[in-house]
Amino acid sequence: MAETLLDIAMMHADTLISRAMQGDQHAQGKLVQLWYKRIYNYAFKFFLDHDLAMEASQKTFISMCKNVGGLQDAARFKSWLYTIAVNYCREEARKKKVSRSLSFEVVWNHEAEESPKWESSSQRYDNPERQLQQAELSDMLHEALLELNAEQREVVIMKEYEGLKFREIAEVLNISENTVKSRMYYGLDGLRKILERKNINKETINYEL
Amino acid sequence: MSYKPDEKDWMAYLYDELDNDEREKVEQYLLNHAEARKEFESFQHLRSMMGAVKDKEVIAPPIVLGDAMQRILWNAPYMKMIISIAASLLLLMVVGNLTDARVSLSGNEWKISFGEPRIIEAGPANQSMASLTPEQVQEMINSSLHQNNAVIQANWDDTQRKLDASIKSNLALNAGAVNQLVREASTASQDQIRQYVSGMQSENLQLVKDYFQLTSTDQKKYIENLLVDFAKYLQQQRNDDLQLVTMKLNSIEKNTDLFKQETEQILSSIITTVNNPSTNDNTRGTKY
Repeated sequence: MAETLLDIAMMHADTLISRAMQGDQHAQGKLVQLWYKRIYNYAFKFFLDHDLAMEASQKTFISMCKNVGGLQDAARFKSWLYTIAVNYCREEARKKKVSRSLSFEVVWNHEAEESPKWESSSQRYDNPERQLQQAELSDMLHEALLELNAEQREVVIMKEYEGLKFREIAEVLNISENTVKSRMYYGLDGLRKILERKNINKETINYEL
Repeated sequence: MSYKPDEKDWMAYLYDELDNDEREKVEQYLLNHAEARKEFESFQHLRSMMGAVKDKEVIAPPIVLGDAMQRILWNAPYMKMIISIAASLLLLMVVGNLTDARVSLSGNEWKISFGEPRIIEAGPANQSMASLTPEQVQEMINSSLHQNNAVIQANWDDTQRKLDASIKSNLALNAGAVNQLVREASTASQDQIRQYVSGMQSENLQLVKDYFQLTSTDQKKYIENLLVDFAKYLQQQRNDDLQLVTMKLNSIEKNTDLFKQETEQILSSIITTVNNPSTNDNTRGTKY
């Protein structure tokens, strides 16, 4: 993982959180810096849309700064923050469904047009062909993820990409741990079926670990 | 070997969240069941593929909160409502005080007044009304009813009388008019008829005269025309006949001329032949 530095910072975050809880605006700003990328990536995987993800993340952090004073336990900060994010993502998804407008991003994918993915990717893959395959696979997985229903998608993203424990996810969603595991199982099973239907596997994508 | 891990165990095992005992159980199960192993491997394979999705880099935008904390009390919707209600109440009280408005409720009375309320005295009528007995009231009602009836009766009679009178006068007027009309008609008829008849006679006379005059002139003209036509026709006929006669005479004349010539020729030829028998053949030959 690239954010080892971030991880280290989070190791010291307990004092940061308690300071933020006491109303230290500097500490709150620091927390936003630390967590913004995680929350944004959660929302982006949930929507597959930059604007919606930005909207949801900003609302999440505004809410965090306003309400962090009311947090009981600093240890529960992570699941508390994800709870806010999940709720705002659901709200945005509902709004999007109501307005049914076609996002400009969907029509004109300027990211694909002007910024090739390898410019920002890590140096792990030096072979351009492999990088392209990597990007293709990433797109396909994103689309497959979007085909899952929202409940399963939430759990899969939090577990697989955000690395939360099942217990933490249960806390975030306010459901039992068994339900979380069950959703995870059916989510993964669904993904496997979607990828099979699209005929994507190691051989077709020529992807090696 | 009755242990069979369910979907929850699979997930916990896949993400390494089982405690040691349970993990051993699942591993044992995997060793004994090839199908389950294959299934598990497919999940692992899926996870390895999902690793291809990387985080997107993003820079946190500044989160502007503004002076939200200071305005919380004023922004709260219930606070606004309470303040507005208090303000309107205060306004009502001030206006009420300035106009010296009084509201009082006593017995069945509810009064709103500006300034000192006037005490309305109970009228003397109320007292006298109270002293009346039911019989008196009944009597009063009866008498007033009687009066009313009498007035109505009088009115009725009066109108009846007026109506009768007007009908009578109308009848009389009409009868007089009709009589006069009849009388006029009877006196006028004798003269008028006579005049009319004489008029008719003269008219008839004139008509018949005119008719005869007209027809006689027509007939005269017609007969004249007829006579003229007949005369013309006769003239024409005579002319035609004359022409025919002259033609016939001419033709007879011609015939006689021809005949005369022929006979002359024959005669001359006979004479020549008789006179000159030697040349007779010659002349004959040349002549015919």
